[in-house]
Amino acid sequence: MLNNVKEIFLEVLQAIVPIVVVITLIQFFVIRTPIELFWQFIVGAVLVTSGLFLFLVGVRISLLPIGHMIGSELVSRGSVVILLVAAFIFGFVVTVAEPDVRVLSHQVDIASAGAIEAGVLIIAVSLGVGFFVTVAILRILLGVPIAYLLTTGYILIVILSFFVPPDFVAISFDAGGVTTGPMAVPFILALGVGATSVLGGKSGVSDTFGLIGLASIGPVIGVMILGVIFG
Amino acid sequence: MNFSFVLQEFDQVLLEVLTAVTPVLGMFLLFVLIYKLPKNLLLTLLKGVLFAFAGLALFLQGVKVGFMPVGTEMGSVLGGMPDRWILIPIGFLLGFVATLAEPAVRILCHQVEDTSSGAIKSNLILYTLCLAVGIFIALAMTRIIYGIPFYYIIIPGYMLAIILMIFSKPSFTAVAFDSGGVATGPMTVTFIMALAVGAADTMEGRDAVVDGFGLIALVALAPIIMVMLLGFLFPEEEAEQDPYGEDLETESDHGDKENEGTEKHESTEDDQSSEASGDLEEAEVEPYEESNISDDEKNQNAGNKNEEDDNHDRDPQA
Repeated sequence: MLNNVKEIFLEVLQAIVPIVVVITLIQFFVIRTPIELFWQFIVGAVLVTSGLFLFLVGVRISLLPIGHMIGSELVSRGSVVILLVAAFIFGFVVTVAEPDVRVLSHQVDIASAGAIEAGVLIIAVSLGVGFFVTVAILRILLGVPIAYLLTTGYILIVILSFFVPPDFVAISFDAGGVTTGPMAVPFILALGVGATSVLGGKSGVSDTFGLIGLASIGPVIGVMILGVIFG
Repeated sequence: MNFSFVLQEFDQVLLEVLTAVTPVLGMFLLFVLIYKLPKNLLLTLLKGVLFAFAGLALFLQGVKVGFMPVGTEMGSVLGGMPDRWILIPIGFLLGFVATLAEPAVRILCHQVEDTSSGAIKSNLILYTLCLAVGIFIALAMTRIIYGIPFYYIIIPGYMLAIILMIFSKPSFTAVAFDSGGVATGPMTVTFIMALAVGAADTMEGRDAVVDGFGLIALVALAPIIMVMLLGFLFPEEEAEQDPYGEDLETESDHGDKENEGTEKHESTEDDQSSEASGDLEEAEVEPYEESNISDDEKNQNAGNKNEEDDNHDRDPQA
């Protein structure tokens, strides 16, 4: 257990420190913003590092294993309908708690001076993930090739993008990138593994693939629809 | 130096985190009670939720008082410079380094190496990805500086992904699309995004919302395209059958411990009751973002798990 904690800590450091070093170099050799600002950056880096570390410890040591258990319970006891409903709830709830989604939403809220509210954006993104996770699970159960769904999803996005107000285009595509964070990915996959094992003998490996790819189409479409409605 | 900014509006962040974490707690409680899972799980659950709560609060506060304002400020300083083209090489550098540093990217690289039955070396993939993300971020900066509409970049990008998918081997398609998020690590989403928004905000004729965003989408698209392209460059007949195939020789010292965990997992009766702790132990080693590998392997190939991927991280030659 301590080993894992240490591993998580090193992993977080590995992802953050090199970039902090590069930004420090840029600060001192290229732009020289006020030194107070630089300290603010360093303090931010310490907070982000420790926060991400604690968050991952919580997710991996407790939430994820419990998620796995729930996943296997769902499969062994639940009907297909319950599995699908659970897929939607899982997708929605974990995306609401996803750190990256929150950061993007805040940034959008600030940049748009409150015109696109963080809360609304989070809900649109989470609904999108919930819906597409359900679709992805259904796909596994029905055995539809993943390429069909990916192609349909991508083409739908391309078409929708012509009707979306300019304010929402870039944000909606960004929303697809932030959902694949430390919270959503493991939970969605846990669910996929559950759904695959419903099928018993059928090949599982290739079936759980593409789950994340599909799940990240959801928020793009979700935010685009939000844009069409409110833009 | 006054550090009072650290706690600025922390109450709001706490409130937000509360609304973010409560649904998770509620959902889990519901399932634990409905399925009558062992009561000691409730304690574990509570601990996990507390950790996640504290972590998310610190993380968001750090982003709010540190990364976001500083990133935005640096962006507007750079965007306001007479030679603002400097954003392009800086974007490239940041993208390159962020990708090189991201643990999830390393795991993807080994996955691709395995998918290609070793034909594509993981270091080659690593540097290709770093270059790709660097170039895509440089492209995002170029777009901001010269006001190129986002459509002109993202639509061809998506089209390219679709076309590649049609011709790509299914195994590569699956790995490619799942890898979309690997490069969007904690620094990209927080700092680099703020930098772009700040730059767009400060430039005349650019809009922070219309021009500033889109960077993450490009960073997510880079690995998708690169993995499929690499699949073309290195044709390998046998690659088809086993998308997330594993190299067995790396399963050595850690193998035994992991096997135990997996066996417990498979005996479904046990692992929900008395063996709960075994299950917990097993999942502790899930790597960030990339537990798809472990999840699949857990089911399909007993015991060959992500500790192995971590070994790769430290020693690419393993």
